[in-house]
Amino acid sequence: MANVSFVMPNFVPAIPEMFVLGMACAILILDLFFSDKDRVVTYLLSVATLVGAAILTIALSTDTRELTFNGSFVRDPMGDVLKVFIYVVTAFTFIYSRRYLEARGLFKGEYFVLGLFGVLGMMVMVSAHNMLTLYMGLELLSLSMYAMVAFQRDSLKATEAAMKYFILGALASGMLLYGMSLIYGMSGSLDLAEIAAYVALNNTNVVLMLGLVFAIVGLAFKLGAVPFHMWVPDVYHGAPTSVTLYIGTAPKIAAFAMVMRLLVEGLGDLHHQWQDMLIVLAVLSIALGNVIAIAQTNIKRMLAYSTISHVGFILLGILAGTENGYSSAMFYVVVYTLMSLGGFAMIIMLSRAGFEADKLDDFKGLNDRSPWLALMMLVLMFSMAGVPPTVGFYAKLSVLQAVVQVELVWLAVYAVVFSVIGAFYYLRVVKVMYFDKPDDTTPLEASMAERIVISANSLAMLALGIFPAVLMQLMVIR
Amino acid sequence: MTLLLIILIPLLGTLLAPAAAVRGRMGAAVMAGALTATALALLFTLAPRVFGGETIVVSWAWMADLGLYFSLRLDGLGLLFALLILGIGLLVILYAAYYLSPKDSMPKFFSYMMLFMGAMLGVVLSENLILLLMFWELTSLSSFLLVSYWRHRADARQGARMALAVTGGGGLCLLAGILLLGEIVGSYELSVVLVSAELIQSHDLYTPALILILLGAFTKSAQFPFHFWLPHAMAAPTPVSAYLHSATMVKAGVFLLARLHPALAGSDLWFYLVTGAGLTTLVFAAYVALFKHDLKGLLAYSTISHLGLITLLFGFGTPLAAVAGVFHIINHATFKASLFMAAGIIDHEAGTRDMRRLNGLFKYMPYTALLAMVAAASMAGVPLLNGFLSKEMFFVETLHLQRFGDWAWLIPVLATVAGIFAVGYSLRFIHDVFFNGEPKDLPQIPHEPPRWMKVPVEILVVLCLLVGMLPAFTVGPLLATAAGGVLQAPLPEYSLAIWHGFNTALMMSIIALIGGGLFYLLRHKLFDLHGRLLPNEFGAKQIFDILVKAVVDLSRAITRLLENGSLQRYMALLVGSAIVVGVYAALQHGAMSFDMSASSMPVNAVSVTASIALIVAALATVLFHRHRLPTLLMLGVVGLFVSLAFVYFSAPDLALTQLSVEVVTIILLLLALHFLPQESQPESSSARRLRDALLAGTAGLGIAALTWAILTAPFETLSGYYLEQSVPGGGGKNVVNVILVDFRGFDTFGEITVLAIAAIGIHALLYNLFVNPNPAGPHGWATSRPPLLLSVICRPLLPLALLVALYLMLRGHNAPGGGFIAGLVAGVALVMQYLASGLDWTNARMKIDYFKVIAAGLAIALATGVASWFFAHPFMTTTFTHVHWPVVGEFEVASAMVFDLGVFLTVVGITMLILAELGKLSGAVKQGGGR
Repeated sequence: MANVSFVMPNFVPAIPEMFVLGMACAILILDLFFSDKDRVVTYLLSVATLVGAAILTIALSTDTRELTFNGSFVRDPMGDVLKVFIYVVTAFTFIYSRRYLEARGLFKGEYFVLGLFGVLGMMVMVSAHNMLTLYMGLELLSLSMYAMVAFQRDSLKATEAAMKYFILGALASGMLLYGMSLIYGMSGSLDLAEIAAYVALNNTNVVLMLGLVFAIVGLAFKLGAVPFHMWVPDVYHGAPTSVTLYIGTAPKIAAFAMVMRLLVEGLGDLHHQWQDMLIVLAVLSIALGNVIAIAQTNIKRMLAYSTISHVGFILLGILAGTENGYSSAMFYVVVYTLMSLGGFAMIIMLSRAGFEADKLDDFKGLNDRSPWLALMMLVLMFSMAGVPPTVGFYAKLSVLQAVVQVELVWLAVYAVVFSVIGAFYYLRVVKVMYFDKPDDTTPLEASMAERIVISANSLAMLALGIFPAVLMQLMVIR
Repeated sequence: MTLLLIILIPLLGTLLAPAAAVRGRMGAAVMAGALTATALALLFTLAPRVFGGETIVVSWAWMADLGLYFSLRLDGLGLLFALLILGIGLLVILYAAYYLSPKDSMPKFFSYMMLFMGAMLGVVLSENLILLLMFWELTSLSSFLLVSYWRHRADARQGARMALAVTGGGGLCLLAGILLLGEIVGSYELSVVLVSAELIQSHDLYTPALILILLGAFTKSAQFPFHFWLPHAMAAPTPVSAYLHSATMVKAGVFLLARLHPALAGSDLWFYLVTGAGLTTLVFAAYVALFKHDLKGLLAYSTISHLGLITLLFGFGTPLAAVAGVFHIINHATFKASLFMAAGIIDHEAGTRDMRRLNGLFKYMPYTALLAMVAAASMAGVPLLNGFLSKEMFFVETLHLQRFGDWAWLIPVLATVAGIFAVGYSLRFIHDVFFNGEPKDLPQIPHEPPRWMKVPVEILVVLCLLVGMLPAFTVGPLLATAAGGVLQAPLPEYSLAIWHGFNTALMMSIIALIGGGLFYLLRHKLFDLHGRLLPNEFGAKQIFDILVKAVVDLSRAITRLLENGSLQRYMALLVGSAIVVGVYAALQHGAMSFDMSASSMPVNAVSVTASIALIVAALATVLFHRHRLPTLLMLGVVGLFVSLAFVYFSAPDLALTQLSVEVVTIILLLLALHFLPQESQPESSSARRLRDALLAGTAGLGIAALTWAILTAPFETLSGYYLEQSVPGGGGKNVVNVILVDFRGFDTFGEITVLAIAAIGIHALLYNLFVNPNPAGPHGWATSRPPLLLSVICRPLLPLALLVALYLMLRGHNAPGGGFIAGLVAGVALVMQYLASGLDWTNARMKIDYFKVIAAGLAIALATGVASWFFAHPFMTTTFTHVHWPVVGEFEVASAMVFDLGVFLTVVGITMLILAELGKLSGAVKQGGGR
């Protein structure tokens, strides 16, 4: 086919992606030559990669929107912001994880390399402008996560969790792909802009609708929205905490981006149709997440259910279908990620070799053992509960406002009622830390780096609560 | 700016007070007192402007997108509350400095105290409703800290949690209400909201907004049925009770009613909700207070009752009632705070708060007794004290109310009844504690408290007297300004005189005083009656506990149902939910259109038979799944029919590929089967199988319907393009092959690379793997030698098969065939040698490193692609030419064929590699088993 001319794509918008890919491959190879003693180089290189990617992303950031690779890849301000948060959160995850992994003999290059490939997957999801690109990013992320969950091979719990995650995840990916194929079949294009153009003219087609339904099933699974949430608690619980930390944070940002790209950019004209479905998902997620969390005795499980309810809130912003709603949801997802980063990290802080500290009882009397860490956890819990003046309050506020603005008043009231129930279990953590006597008085082994990062993390919840506009102004859609 | 400082100074105290504690125990108290005094002084500098009728508003943009401004407002109402908060705060700080025992941490106490003070000031000085809400929640949090100050006490912890749960939850309701209000008005600024009464009350959202806001106010002000947290919060140190639970925090709810009075009040809904709650609370709590033996319990219920009174007044919605409400807020704050402090002194000095043991304390602490008696008399509404004045105004208002129609008499009657109760419990407070015989086994001999502990009480009691006797000179201007702040309108006519002549209201007061006295005389009989009628106090607390337990039980039940850890359950849930949403969407958007015409369904004997065979084989695969060998055979049958279907629909390439893939996979599976038992035990109950069958059946039918709909819908296809371009563009007549090696050559290259990676993965997994020897017994496999006949036939077959493979590859470009199929055929031929002659025999003759074969295949494919660069064409551009061979005839040589050779080698290599690895494994097992 010599007569077809081949145009070189503009690689510049994808430089951060290429950088992370190159570094991940290089670290993968280099790591083979390190002895366990030198493994720390892998860790440092991984963190450096994220820092480098952040610098590149910020340097290449502009206010405009650039399409490249035949319209299958997009770089826009929303994507840049989300990517930078992905790097930050992942870098924090790596820093938190180090001591935990070392204590369990898991301080291996695989964790970091898989983590970086996952980050690459997330970046591709964020920048996808084509259903295949989107799917590719998603699978790169998912496969990395499946492997990371199974990474502690001698743990039965982790292996079981990984198997469940893989089977359910594969099924959900299949549904997503099926939905995409139906959409493709109807619109004749994989490109989101072309799909949008098609949908604008034909928005009552049954097959298109079914494509939408299956795509939403897939998206809901990846987000962890009820009734497609069942993997969340088991995987969060079963995986090593450092992996839970990874799974429970940055991928949510990517999942949000995926929803934005596919539903809003591609299928925006079907808003009325998908709004109903998202309402159902949000209503179920908020109720179930909050109610089930109450009975949990394992704090990882508790936070898993809390995640589910937060996902419900994120969906509230998206389903509003307004510019305001989208930016509220974006604000919420970033805030949520930072909060749960701190929450899971606190479990790591209390853990030591042979002790996971993942029970609620393990937090007993934390105030007596380390008043500072207890205070940090208190701030995080309050932020998750949405208590002012923490930033969690603004997240809830802005999402609720968006819902009220589109006249879904009952939904806002409903969400508030369940937040009240939700506040109950966050407060239980506070009660346990402050009122109960510690069962275990072993000194905490958390390193200085961890302490500094967790303090920054928690205090940010407070600082952003006092100056929320700093964060809010970054949340630009388009 | 001064306004901001008034809030910031106490908040700053949260840090400064503990910091000052390094300079000795009293440091924190001194610092807290100094800061409070400073803030109070600043407030005084602003006061003249407010008295002059000005409303001071300052504003900074904060999150303008959300309508959130950091804006503060000082008007009459705000000024009154700020004065109460700072003034009583100062007294409480003084009192607490002496009240706290050396064991208690002073820095912590004053730090929390300042936090609360700052938050409370924020509530009353906010101009923006969302800002108000934030401070509101902050008061809940800081009160949580204060109530749980004695952390070692279980009742304090429980009380604190309950208070936080109720008021914090109420705060969230308030948030929702405020959001709705903002949605109606379009702004959260009070200056806008307060003048939009008409807009608000005619809006559809008025009802939900009002209910939510009232929920917030009622929880905070402990109105029935949310009152139960307040008595439990009495586990707090007494200064906290005096401050939070009489003067400030619980007043936040009524403050909100007063604040939003111009915007929300006046409607029927407001009237019925607010008066209803207020009236019930007033009477009910006064009744309960009668029978409390705990001094603070009595005060707690009396506080609830008085809050009910204020709520009731605001519920009336008339300007005069609002004035009376504001007046009672002031009076209640002064006498109740002094009573709490007195109760604290008694507790402190006598060591108990039980009124059955505290008797005749007048002898021991006459001065304190006197102060407490004056305050209690004010609470009862005795003339010449401030409590009397506002209560009188209240009685007048109840008489003027017309709204209940024929039932209008009910309110004054109930108000009088509550008045009787109030006199009754006030008398109990005075007589039981200070007279009534001798104290009963007190832990310590009571005596007067330290001098400075009494000063705050003295000041407050003097205020009670002054206001009571000279109302117009003392409280008049403040009341007028504050009431003006509430109404945001000119004040109605009212008089602050003590004597209004002999009227009905005075009659009610007199009845209340006499009735209360009678009650007190008959108290022992009434206690017995009460004990017989209501032996077990079944209060809202029990309901709260039951509610909590119910939620936890529900939560456990849902966990068991949905999250039992079973993957099968999860799969069922996932698939089931997908089916539900799929069916819903299909029904929602009209039925699918099925093209049932004959042209779209070529039905004849062959297709029907094949379909039936296919279905039967698929069902058999499922049914036999526990017996592995039959399942595998059935799977083979399914594959066979699929390839026949390809033949039938004129796709020989696909058929060939399917067939060869089928053969290779079945053989490989057979090898893998060697390591598994022949049969597995049934694991599912029949109910579960039924569920699974239903789900699978529905999902299958759904997908089938969808496929049908899509396949029969008109569509455009790309086939035409490929059919046209195949010969001129790719030089081959076999379109499938041309697509594989030319049009989509890059994809194929990717695919064989993935295959190669998979092979490496399999190698890595199986290398040096130890597998348990084949399980013996009825479920194991019999060991056998390779049959002789098969090996005799197979050996000469090999060269023939390889020739066929070569032929298939060479002709692939123009006729069915190609590298992939040829690779599989060659693979099968080689595999047959293993099966027929055994592992050892074949291994001895096949000394090929399969990795090299795979690598060579990939390298050739890559080289083909790269080669085009040398001719200045993009990667993997193909070219072709025609050659005339003697035997074969006209023959095309395309560079794509070299690429096909790469595919061929890779496929052969991979097939053989997997086989060899599995073979090695079974060899190892055999040796292990033999030893």
